[in-house]
Formats: sequence, structure tokens, C-alpha cells
Amino acid sequence: MTQTDMLSSDQEDLRLLRESARTLFDRAGGSSRARKLRDAGGGWDPKMVRELAEAGVFGVTVPEANGGLGMGLAAGGVIAEEVGRVIAPEPVVATIGLSLGLLRRLCPDHPKMAQLISGETVLAVAWQERGPNGAPAETTCRYADGKLTGSKAWVVGAAGAHGFLVVAEGDDGPVLAMVEAAAEGLSVVKRTQADGSAMGELSFSGTPAEELARGARVSNALAEAISDATALAAAELVGLSERALEITLDYIKTREQFDKPIGSFQVIQHRAVDLHVMREVAQAGVREVLALMDRETDPKIRARLASRAKARAVTAAKKITRDAIQLHGAVGYTDEYEIGLYLNRALVLSAWLGDDAYHRRLWFEAREEEGAAQ
Amino acid sequence: MTDWNAMSDAEFRKEVRGFFEAEYPEELRHLPHRPKFAEIEHWHRKLHARGWVAPAWPTEYGGMGLNAAKLLIFYEEQQRWGVTRGRDMGVQMVGPLIIKFGTRKQKDYWLPRILSCEDIWCQGYSEPGAGSDLANLRTRAEVDGDDFVINGQKIWTTMAHDATHIFMLVRTDPNAPKKQQGISFLLAPMDQPGVDVRTIATLSGETEFCEVFFDNARTPRENLVGELNKGWTMAKALLSFERIFIGAPNLAQNALGQLESFARGRGAFDDPVFRDRFAQAALDVEDHAALYARFADQLKRGETLGADVSMLKIWVTECFQRITELMIEAAGPDGGTIGPLQVGNVGVDVLSSFYKARPTTIYGGSNEIQRNILSKAVLGLPG
Repeated sequence: MTQTDMLSSDQEDLRLLRESARTLFDRAGGSSRARKLRDAGGGWDPKMVRELAEAGVFGVTVPEANGGLGMGLAAGGVIAEEVGRVIAPEPVVATIGLSLGLLRRLCPDHPKMAQLISGETVLAVAWQERGPNGAPAETTCRYADGKLTGSKAWVVGAAGAHGFLVVAEGDDGPVLAMVEAAAEGLSVVKRTQADGSAMGELSFSGTPAEELARGARVSNALAEAISDATALAAAELVGLSERALEITLDYIKTREQFDKPIGSFQVIQHRAVDLHVMREVAQAGVREVLALMDRETDPKIRARLASRAKARAVTAAKKITRDAIQLHGAVGYTDEYEIGLYLNRALVLSAWLGDDAYHRRLWFEAREEEGAAQ
Repeated sequence: MTDWNAMSDAEFRKEVRGFFEAEYPEELRHLPHRPKFAEIEHWHRKLHARGWVAPAWPTEYGGMGLNAAKLLIFYEEQQRWGVTRGRDMGVQMVGPLIIKFGTRKQKDYWLPRILSCEDIWCQGYSEPGAGSDLANLRTRAEVDGDDFVINGQKIWTTMAHDATHIFMLVRTDPNAPKKQQGISFLLAPMDQPGVDVRTIATLSGETEFCEVFFDNARTPRENLVGELNKGWTMAKALLSFERIFIGAPNLAQNALGQLESFARGRGAFDDPVFRDRFAQAALDVEDHAALYARFADQLKRGETLGADVSMLKIWVTECFQRITELMIEAAGPDGGTIGPLQVGNVGVDVLSSFYKARPTTIYGGSNEIQRNILSKAVLGLPG
């Protein structure tokens, strides 16, 4: 097989994956499903989690030897884009990137791996902490003798998860520990997000936990999992931007003022073109990054690539969803219209794992470091 | 004759790079202006001797016969090494038109003269009243015996003062129902009493652009290429490759490299605001390159590019401008100074880069025209 043949057979696999994910989400009701779940209290649908699992979604980047599809981040990105198109509230990227990203690197034989891949269990990852001034701070949450003490913040998927993967400090370095959702001495405070979902603030007081791994390999695996999740969140934003722009284009083609569709006015047309170009650049950039990350083994370079993807995707999604509201006019500001759901989801996905300015800084620093090392 | 297309991409790139690096005169690298032919004649001779003047032409006409993939590599290497395009209007514009629409006699006569630069061509399209609205052109050509008689004016004619011939769009039927009809494609010699050339000084002080006045100028009827009154469709038919070429990442990439070394030398990276704006520009260039690669792959697969290729030009030219604007900012109080600014042991001509970036959003169909095209042909917006 030549390189080109291999490339096109990979492309064909991704195309099939995209089709099956899109069909699954569309059959389930597209973005109207997201509205229903939001109005019902902001959770996700466990039935959808199982259906996604049956389609192989969660194991997409897990090696075949560990029960996954072994298709890499490029395939994970295809799924994330489809999740973004219908603003699905299920924690797909968090599971592929963070939960399974940690377990497959640290304890691939643990029984929870299979349960996560099959959708029986959802585990939320608690790795960040809030400092006294409210901003992110160093880890102080303690793990000793099978118990956790301290607190964690910005836990995506905390409401509805069966348990938590917690990164804590042990006696000799970092520890990854697992806590059941119903464990004694665990309290979960929900912070409602713009899209109706909740981030969890966890506190532990001598909460029983199972140690899964310890030592430097925990922080290494965490860094890698964050890179994966960051790049996949970028892909989710690319899918979200794509759909938000489609909705907006449909609107300006049909909405009439001064006896004409507003999309016939040049000022509207040029704005729409700028959003389209921005979206195309974002899609090309993020897809390229995911493919490069699949071939790259140096964690620092992978982190730099992930920052490039997130910086681009957030820039595009912010601009597209905000201009989309403007192009819709007053109805864009109502909750009733579909487009607002996209703006709100973009706000949440942008803030999660770092926004564009944050990632441009990381990207620049990584680039300087690589330059200095050469 | 070598079949370049049979080589692997890597082999071919090595071959092209090797030739440029070994043979291209150092003093001509990254020329800030378009050279007159005399300035680059010795380089052109080398290129001609090697048969590399016309990479895109079929081999039967003296070209290299490169397919799209190899052609992109050739141009990438050319730009990477800062090799001048030279006086390539003949090779890039009129040659392909003659190959596609010309008679046997026209091919036999004109094509070898283009390759040898015995004839040096300029392009007479724009007029004072026909810029973005090119089909509005008014320069008339009327049949008089065995000749066409030409009256009117062309403008923005690049390097007309160093050309022996002009290929032009002229109005041959002023009564056609649509302005796109009634336009013909004509070749004419410049060295005659009815042709008057005046240079136009630009903001950068260069005189690459000219006005060309026609006052009963004459050209033989056999210099009509293709059918009478069908020039508009012919000229448009050749734009596909030019449209990806004009959206290539190289100009912005080179400017970014310049910006980085200049800013580093001047200590501009100590400023976090500058760092962020640099990162934005650098990421704009990287992600554009990813999009460019997608279109290039399309060409390599033998597909025709659609109207959506216009977005490459919009993005990269505006990005190029932002980069050169950042260079001026990094120059601080030297931001208005003409000529190279010394940084370490190299000189960076900040203003020349700035000026070079300005017309890129105007030529080849202004970016506003490109946005019109995208909005109708790609987004399907009405009216």
C-alpha cells in the first residue's frame, strides 16, 4: 500500500465514523435535545451515553489491546466535532480525553476501563483547585492511608457521574485516587454554567478512596490527558461553530427587511464571509493539529500543538457565536431561538481548559523553550 | 528529456532546491522590487539553458510539464530561496492562453520567443474605469484592412516600461447586449508611434506600474487570440491556478520570519502585549498553511478548485499586512524611516515590507470582490 492509499483509507474510516455519529445525534433530536435536558435541570441522558458507547465513541482513542478502537485523536476529533454540532451535554470529550486519557496511561487493566468504554460508568476527573482569591492554585488536596482531605474545583460532569478520579498529593508525590459518588465525607457543590450544565466543587474530609497510581507518572499522564482533552475541546468548538454559522446563514437568507432577505445586503454578506473564512481556518488548523498529535510523542510538543488548536478554536467560536447573535437581530437575544444555545455552550467550552489568550501564552512560551533548546 | 512527474516529491524538491541554491545569484535573493529584464538577464539565461523557464507548460512547447503537485513544490522552493519571478507575464499569462486557444502558427511564432525573453510581455487589463469592474473596459479595437486599430488607455500595467509587447483585453463589439460580451484578447507590439507609456510612482517610491495610452496604435489581425468577442471567457478560464498561487502562505511566512528576528533584536518580546500579538499573527500563518495544504491536496488529486479558494487570498493578505504593521510598531521611533534598520549584523527594511503588503489586498481581485464571490458562489447568499 502506498502512503496515499493508506491516507485515503484512513480518511474513509473517519468519514464513516462521522456519518454514524451524526446519524445517532440527529435521530436523537439534534440541538433540541440539548434544550430539553437543560430545561429539565441541566444533566445529561444516561441512555444517550450507552448509545454512544455502543457506537464505540468512548473507546475511540484507547488501544485495541485495551478494548478500544485504537483510532487516535484524529478520530476523537471527528466525534468531538459532531458533539459540538448538536451541543450534546454528555461529557464525551471529558471522558475520552481526561477519564480514559488518565486510566489508559496509568492502569489500562483496571476494570473501570471497560465500564467507561461500555458507558456503564461515567467518571469525572478532579484535577484543578481553587486558591483563596478564586483563581486556579497548586494542588493541596491530600491523599493518605486510603483517605482524601481537601477540595477540588471545575469538575466537568460532576453532576451525574458515578465517581471521581482525583489527583491529590500523597506522601511521596502525586496520587491518582478514585472516589465513589456516594462516598462518605464527600460533598459536591454544583456551579451552574451558561449552558445550564454544572461544574462541581468537591470537598473531601477523610473520604475513602482507592489509589490507582502514584508518583511522577501521575503528573505526566495528567499533562498528556489535558493536552488530549484540550485539543478535543477545540474540535468540539469547531463543530459548534460550523453549526452556529449554518443556522445564521439560513436565517439571513430568509429574514426579510426593506422587502429583501437581509443576506442580500453587502455588509451582511461580507460579515458572513469573514465568519465562514474564520471557521474554515479553524477547522483546517484543528484537524491538522489532531493528526500531528497522533504522530508526535514528545509531551511538550503535543502540549504546544494542543494550545495552538484551542487558541484558534476559541477565537473562531467566540467571534462566530457573538456575531451570529448580531446577525439574528433582536430574536438572537431571546432564549427561545436556537442560536443562543450555541453562544452559551461556546462560553463554557472556551473557559474550560483555558481560553484563547491563555493558550496563546502557553503556545508562545513552548515555542520559545523549543527555540532555546535548539 | 527528464520526466519530472515520475520523481518522488522529495527527490524533485531536492533537485529544484539544489539548482536554486547552487545557481541563483546571491545579490538577487529576496529582491524588494520587480527587476527590469537587464538586471536578471544572466539568471534568465541559466534558467533557459536548463529548460526551466516555464514549469507549467507542456514539454512539447518547451515547458517542464509539471503536474499540480510538482508545480507547487517548484514555486515553494522558488519563494523559499527568494528567487525572483523575473519577467514572467509571458510565461504565466499569455503563454498558457496561446497554448490553449492559439493557432498552430501563433504557437510556433510566439512561444519560443516568450521562453527566450526575446519578447517581454506586460498585461493590459485594468483601465481607469475598469478596476474591480473589469468587464467595464472601453479600450476599442476596430478592424482596418489587415490590422486592428487600437484607441484607449490601460492603467496599473506592471512593468510596461520594460516590455516589448502587451496582451490586452479590448472592446471589439460596443453594441453587445452584456458588457462581458464583445471583449477580445489581442497581442500588440509596444514599439510603435501610437503607444505611449508613462510610469506611475507608488507610495513606496517604486515605478513598477504604468499607464499605457493607445492613439491609433496598430496590430495585425492575426494577433487576435481565440475567437473575436470571446476574450472574457478565455481570460477567466485560466484563473484557477492563479487563485491558489495568490493565496500561498510564503509572503506572510517570510514576513513573519523577518518580524521575529527584528522584534527579538529590538527587545520587543519583553512586552507581553507584543508577545500576544506576535503569537496571534504566527498562529494565523500556521493555521492558514493548514487550509492551504487542504486546497493543494485537492489539486494534487487532480480536482479542480472551486470558488472557495478565494478565502486563502483574503486571509493571507490581511495577515501579511498585520505582520508588517507589527514590524512598524516594533521599530518604535524608527517606524517612519526609509531604508534598512540595523539589527545586529542584518538590516531589516521595515517600510519596504509594509508597502509591499498594501497592494496585496487590492490586486488579483480586491479582497472585497473576493468576499462578493464567496458570499454568492459559496455561501449562496441572495442578490
